[in-house]
Amino acid sequence: MSGMLAIVLPVAILIGGAFIIYVLARLFNLNNRVEAILTVVVLAIALMALVNNYHQIEELATNPDAVFGDFSPGGIVLIPSALGIFIMIISIIVSIMITVYSGEYLMRDSRYLNYYPLILLTQAGLMGMFLSNNLFNLLLLTELSTVAASSLIAFRFNQHIAIRAGFKYLIMNSLGTMMMLLGIYFLYRSTGDVHLFHILSAPDNLTRIAAGCFLLGFSLKAGVFPLHTWVPDVYGHAPSAIGGLLAGVFSKSMLFILPVICLRLGMTYEELGTYLMVFACFNMLVGSVRMLGENLLRRFLSFSSIAQTGYLMFGLGIGFYYNLDEAFSAGLFLFMVIAIMKCLGFLASGIYQFYFRTQDITQLQGEAHRMPLVALCFSVALAGLAGIPLLAGFTGKWIIFSVALMTGDLFAIICLAIFLLTTLISLGGYLPLLVRQYQKPNEGEQVDADRQFPERVSGWLVAPIVILAILVILIGVFPGPWVSLIDYVVGWMVI
Amino acid sequence: MEYYEMLLPGITVVPIIGVVVLLIWRKANKKQAAIIGILSESVALVIPLVLLSVLRRNEYIVFSLPWIPNMGVSFRLSLNWLSLTFLMTEVIVTLVAMVYSLGEKTGEKHSNYYYALLLLFSLGMSGTTLSDDVFLFYIFWELMLVASVLLILVWGHGEIRFKVALKYFIFTHLGSLMVLVCLITMYVNFGTANMTEWMAQVSSLPVNMQVFMIIFFLIGFSVKMAIFPLHIWLPDAHTVAPMPVTIILAAAMLSMGTYGILRFPFTFFTLERLQPFAIWMMLAGLVSEVYGALMALAEKDIKRIVAFSSVSQMGYILFGLGTLTMRGMQGAIMHVVYHAIIKGLLFMVVGILIAITNERDIEKISGLGFKFPALCISAAIGVLGISGMPPLGIFNSEWMIFAGGFDSGVSIALTVMTLIGSLLTVIYALRFFGSIFFGKRLPEDLPKKAPLALVIPTMAVTIFLIIEGLIPGPMLTWATKGLAGIFGGIF
Repeated sequence: MSGMLAIVLPVAILIGGAFIIYVLARLFNLNNRVEAILTVVVLAIALMALVNNYHQIEELATNPDAVFGDFSPGGIVLIPSALGIFIMIISIIVSIMITVYSGEYLMRDSRYLNYYPLILLTQAGLMGMFLSNNLFNLLLLTELSTVAASSLIAFRFNQHIAIRAGFKYLIMNSLGTMMMLLGIYFLYRSTGDVHLFHILSAPDNLTRIAAGCFLLGFSLKAGVFPLHTWVPDVYGHAPSAIGGLLAGVFSKSMLFILPVICLRLGMTYEELGTYLMVFACFNMLVGSVRMLGENLLRRFLSFSSIAQTGYLMFGLGIGFYYNLDEAFSAGLFLFMVIAIMKCLGFLASGIYQFYFRTQDITQLQGEAHRMPLVALCFSVALAGLAGIPLLAGFTGKWIIFSVALMTGDLFAIICLAIFLLTTLISLGGYLPLLVRQYQKPNEGEQVDADRQFPERVSGWLVAPIVILAILVILIGVFPGPWVSLIDYVVGWMVI
Repeated sequence: MEYYEMLLPGITVVPIIGVVVLLIWRKANKKQAAIIGILSESVALVIPLVLLSVLRRNEYIVFSLPWIPNMGVSFRLSLNWLSLTFLMTEVIVTLVAMVYSLGEKTGEKHSNYYYALLLLFSLGMSGTTLSDDVFLFYIFWELMLVASVLLILVWGHGEIRFKVALKYFIFTHLGSLMVLVCLITMYVNFGTANMTEWMAQVSSLPVNMQVFMIIFFLIGFSVKMAIFPLHIWLPDAHTVAPMPVTIILAAAMLSMGTYGILRFPFTFFTLERLQPFAIWMMLAGLVSEVYGALMALAEKDIKRIVAFSSVSQMGYILFGLGTLTMRGMQGAIMHVVYHAIIKGLLFMVVGILIAITNERDIEKISGLGFKFPALCISAAIGVLGISGMPPLGIFNSEWMIFAGGFDSGVSIALTVMTLIGSLLTVIYALRFFGSIFFGKRLPEDLPKKAPLALVIPTMAVTIFLIIEGLIPGPMLTWATKGLAGIFGGIF
């Protein structure tokens, strides 16, 4: 029983927390910072519950009774997995950073009351997706997180462009959810069951079609080429904090749910590996090339995010195609470092926008002279994404390199060549942006009256980015413990 | 652990301490920052000198500390005769550039960062030379690039520096990635990052893979050496960089490509495996030699003339390596050292010329010989040195390189062509010297004296060049000992 409770506890904390915070905020008209602190507390408790589950990975993974719910038709079945717990730990940590950041970031918004509960619900939905064994439940939880996320994207609803972004996200992701619903239909028609746990027999055509539907659905949510077109529009116009959460964690974590379902529905390792590797190349190319000409900061980061989705797919693809455990470790390691670096990038760029009211990259010239610490942290993010040694991104690149070369196979080597090409192309995006911050401000530049030049940047904004920047350096200099941690998770991973 | 093993990491740790002090001491003026920089670098120079006696007994010194055990990575440094030669070159060049900076305008602002970056640049090079762990090697290799790019970005000349720095970064990074592919291939195949342990296992790799790796290594390191047609980053980077950085780039960093070739393909693969590449390396060397010289002849900007001369000189070195003979490689190593001294000297002369005339166009500077006799003598020695005039250093190394070419039996014709090609060097060198120091005198509004801080290191290097040329014995011994591990120790 305690095992069962432990499984559901983090989700319950998040959903319960969302509800309680919303009610409290309404009743006592809490101010933004108090609400942010309460949210951090809820997230921290959920994190503790997750860490507790992490310590019991061995027991939960080997104990067949460690299941919450029942297998009756319409029953909810939650089964914990090492992978899910790990990803959620990262996701919650990122969310804590984003919540602290929002303590200042939302000071000018009046509708902050809904914001924090929505973050909690997004997290609850994501966590539920990793736990859920019943595909119908999975669908509902996906919807929960999608709706919550789209509300967050369109949070500044007085801005036309924000509404458009939220609407686009909702439409595109609902399309993905519909594909999944179609998949469930085919699966139910074929097997009369929607519990993944039960579907072990030889797959027929219908289950394979279902697998295809899920593949498309999740690919759309992850922003896999050619279903990536919504990514720059959405992340480019969502609040920075939300952009960081969605681009860094949310959309990329879909790549880890996808294989669990598709493999169970009859897709072979080789098919899935081929799909991931081939489309990884497209993602890498499209992301890094489109990034070059981009003038809006968050759109720039969005395109780089598309490229990074490609890197992740490349790592995972090798893992499936060649059945290589090291590649899964590489994929998870990349997920972790991308989540941190991307979140750092979005948050730091958000500070620029917060004070200077502009997303235009050309306007960033010389900002390092006004905000040296923010510029430094943003530089760490950009250099990390560019793969400069002693930062987390380099270790990720090294590990991906290693697994690709470990295969010794032409297919992987060709993909690696494309990977190399795109890392080189993307340097042309990251480095000028990095340098631009340190250039002298343009002489005689027309300073927008809207721009505020703060005496000092708020601690609420700076603290999260400093912590994330330290993490980027720490993982880069001492990757050992992190690699061990991930190897341990991969050891208990069941796909 | 013996005392000398503990001393070895000092070569990398002391500059790091210097960097930390400089970063903390933000109000340091240029002199103070320079003192910290020069002190740290001097310690980094003294340590290998102290270790020299140990090296005579042991042939190599290793220091190892666990770093990332689950990836098989350790902080492992190793000093042997080969690395010693390159290490000393880099450290001395950096020291000279640091002293020279004092007389330059560069680094007046943010002096602490300037000297910290010079230290990091040097640390990147010395770390690369000493690393015996592949992960560590690549980190130092990239540190070298990042530090030099930052120096160009912040203290470089003109707005074009941003574009030049980007081009320099991306282009050399391409070479680095090619090297990285090979390094990681070995790392995953042998299951360890310890490069000494690779030695015994390389022969177990499939022949095709070995061939690919040799190609990648050679191309990757040729980018760093700026061999034609992979040189396109060099002229711009050297021209735009502030003079002290140009000195380090040309005199020290280019040699890292040579070290890379000796350290990797030449150490790990057998002579038999490398033999098919001999002619290509010699050919690339010849083309680079001639192309660099022709471009130096065609250029008007005095800094670019000397920069293109580097492309040409690297051609000689690659030719020497390509001969795959003992003499050729001895010559190549010696050429690295002599080139470092002479190129350092020539850039210093150019720096002084720019400082006193405020002009870079060779057609607008003339007749300085009588007004600045000491400078004229230094330049004359530098120019004669680079032309291969005995007894100045390069004569010795070119002699060895050409002898290696004839020894190799690969292609006598190529060697003869390279020999004849060296005439072009004499032509551009004499044109450089003649048109600047002779001819019509410039108006008299020039300063009477060149800045002392520029002249002193220039004179010191000139004297050092003469001494080194007259007594080539120790250099030859080091080069010979350095080649002991090449091709599995067949020499």
